[in-house]
Amino acid sequence: MSDHTKASGPIPFRNPGWAGNTGSFDLTEAQVRGDDFVGVRPPDGGHPSGAPSYPYMKADKAPDAPLFEGPYRERFEKILTRYPETRAALLPTLNLAQELRGHISPDTMREVAVLLDLPEAYVRGVTSFYTMYNKKPVGRFLIQVCTNISCNLCGGDEVLAAFLKHTGTELGATSSDGDFTVMEVECLAACGTPTAVQINSRYYENVTPDGVPAILERLRARGE
Amino acid sequence: MVETVTLTIDGQEVTVPKGTTILEAAETLGNRVPHYCYHPGLSRPAQCRLCLVEVEGAPKLQASCVTAAMPGQVVHTQSESARAQRRGVLEFYLKNHPLDCPICDQSGECKLQDYVHEEGRAHGRSREPKRVLGRDDFGGDVLFYGDRCVMCTRCVRFMNEMAQDPRLTVVERGNRSVIDTFFEEGLAGSPYAGNIVDICPVGALVSKDFLHKARAWDLDHIPSICPNCSQGCNIDLHVRDNLVQRLKPRDNPEVNQHWMCDYGRHRYEWMNHGTRLVAPARGRGEGLATGTWEAVLSDLADELAEAREAGLGVRALASPFASNEDLAALRDLVEALGGGEIVFRSPRADQEIPLPGFPKLVRRRDLAPNVRGAELLGMRRVGGEDASGGLESLVGFDGILLVMGDALLDAPEDFGAGARVLACLGTHPPRVAAGATHLLPIRTHAEGEGTFTNVEGRVQRFWPGLHAPGEARPAWQVLAFLAAALGAEGEVPALAAEAFARLAADHAPFQGLSYEVLGTRGALVNDPVSLPGA
Repeated sequence: MSDHTKASGPIPFRNPGWAGNTGSFDLTEAQVRGDDFVGVRPPDGGHPSGAPSYPYMKADKAPDAPLFEGPYRERFEKILTRYPETRAALLPTLNLAQELRGHISPDTMREVAVLLDLPEAYVRGVTSFYTMYNKKPVGRFLIQVCTNISCNLCGGDEVLAAFLKHTGTELGATSSDGDFTVMEVECLAACGTPTAVQINSRYYENVTPDGVPAILERLRARGE
Repeated sequence: MVETVTLTIDGQEVTVPKGTTILEAAETLGNRVPHYCYHPGLSRPAQCRLCLVEVEGAPKLQASCVTAAMPGQVVHTQSESARAQRRGVLEFYLKNHPLDCPICDQSGECKLQDYVHEEGRAHGRSREPKRVLGRDDFGGDVLFYGDRCVMCTRCVRFMNEMAQDPRLTVVERGNRSVIDTFFEEGLAGSPYAGNIVDICPVGALVSKDFLHKARAWDLDHIPSICPNCSQGCNIDLHVRDNLVQRLKPRDNPEVNQHWMCDYGRHRYEWMNHGTRLVAPARGRGEGLATGTWEAVLSDLADELAEAREAGLGVRALASPFASNEDLAALRDLVEALGGGEIVFRSPRADQEIPLPGFPKLVRRRDLAPNVRGAELLGMRRVGGEDASGGLESLVGFDGILLVMGDALLDAPEDFGAGARVLACLGTHPPRVAAGATHLLPIRTHAEGEGTFTNVEGRVQRFWPGLHAPGEARPAWQVLAFLAAALGAEGEVPALAAEAFARLAADHAPFQGLSYEVLGTRGALVNDPVSLPGA
């Protein structure tokens, strides 16, 4: 081993990077992502490296929750410290609002605009530009089925049809019990394991139409 | 000394100040490179991709609206690659365009229509259904037809940068993009929002007031000055069938840049007012009878001369809506009658409305175009903020009363009853015509030629756009005739130019001004007011 790779002592300062001083990286997957398979992120965002603003979707959505209180206020303020101006903090702030409320309603846009001192119209423009912001309420489980090339070749359309059939909903609509919303999405970047499905924040890979009932069964079971 | 660069555009050499863009340099040669998103008064996002030109040495076509002219550059705006690029871009613009030109207000002044007609494909190749957005009422005077939009975002940038009221944005993305406000918020209450209709290069933003009212090619454009406040915005009267159909701002970097306020824009109907004074008349009360100009004027001149012999004084009521020439002629006539006070009444608004992005442009408090001109000619403002009252010195006056341009809406019934002569020069019948001995029809500024002096002291010309009704004549001509009949020196001016030359010769503030000096952008009087942002 050559000399220059050896640490010559404790490093006094480490570039905090984009997430601030994230401390130890000896984390379990459960600590980073939450311990439930569809994701329950602790309200305080979990470990600092768990990206307090990372797009995240909880099953227990609260459309009327106040923006932002308690631990969410702390996470929001942490987001603000990362950017030179509030305009740059808009996307993570919307992520946080969506994590809390499940979707971005016009009222949410207005509240975010006030929080960040931005024009309301601008917030609407940004929100509507990105398809990952839900503009209307979604079910407790947002099922996003990839039908892009790789998944499509391997039966993405059939998987999508299976999800629609077994949840009894229409594309983009929410099931009558409020549990499921099924959407078609473009590439989820899991082309090696088609068909890829994202349910809330968790990926399901190599999904086949036959596996759909079991997935839904597990989701319903934990939905109690 | 401004540093300059010399470049060649389409084989023509042109020298421009350093920092000028290729598009602007080409414009100095009269070569208009097609463009949508570029507007001289706004930022340049270079997103419409229509102004791409070939620059020798550059690997790809360059957006001429943001590429600075460089020394020795050789630019081809009409090369095969530039034309092919434009043809392709225009085909994309027509992908979802409804081609509803027959019912579109912009037809005839539409840049999409022009460019496609010039160099677009004769036939579209798309067989896909077009996306349909319908129309959206933006509130105020603005109606939005999303299908016609080319997403140049001029309107968004105007609201952000000029009005600094960022209510417009691009919603959605890709071919679903559409201009919108925050849901139902709209543009109502934004005092400069009407400008987005002007700068929209296509028919996406149209004026509700002008909707389906006239075709663009039927309109005559007459350069004029906005008569609705003392800012003196340069405008065009758009006229059809001897009616003003709309007002549009005309560029003048010294006054209004490219903009005008909605307040001024929407107050043109009075220029079309039907009940006009059309023939000269004389005689008090029941005896009032119309006559020829010759008869009425010579009668009036005789009566004025008699009154002057009798040693009776003269007082006059002028109007800040009259031109400098009219006011100066009134001043000259009053002097010829022995001199007396001239007062005027002017409506005043509660507050000024500035355009934040160009602070020199303000909807002024004085809601008349020539208050400053009247003041420079020694006239005194009387009455209240709503242009009423202040007639105390005139009501019971027993000498010569001259009223020009003021309809006396709030005057008492017996106004001028005791006056020896009450000559009313007006566009509309004065409310208290009973006391008048002479009624003389004159022209509005829209019907005549002349100049206004704006709040800053800038003298600006306007040109006649409408035919005057009946026998109405320019007030300066009528007044100069009377002054001459009373022995004043000089010829009676036959043209507005002569009236202006006389004004410039006789009145110190206007000394040295001539039509040549005024040009198309006006010139300051000798004692201008310095304005913030100037």
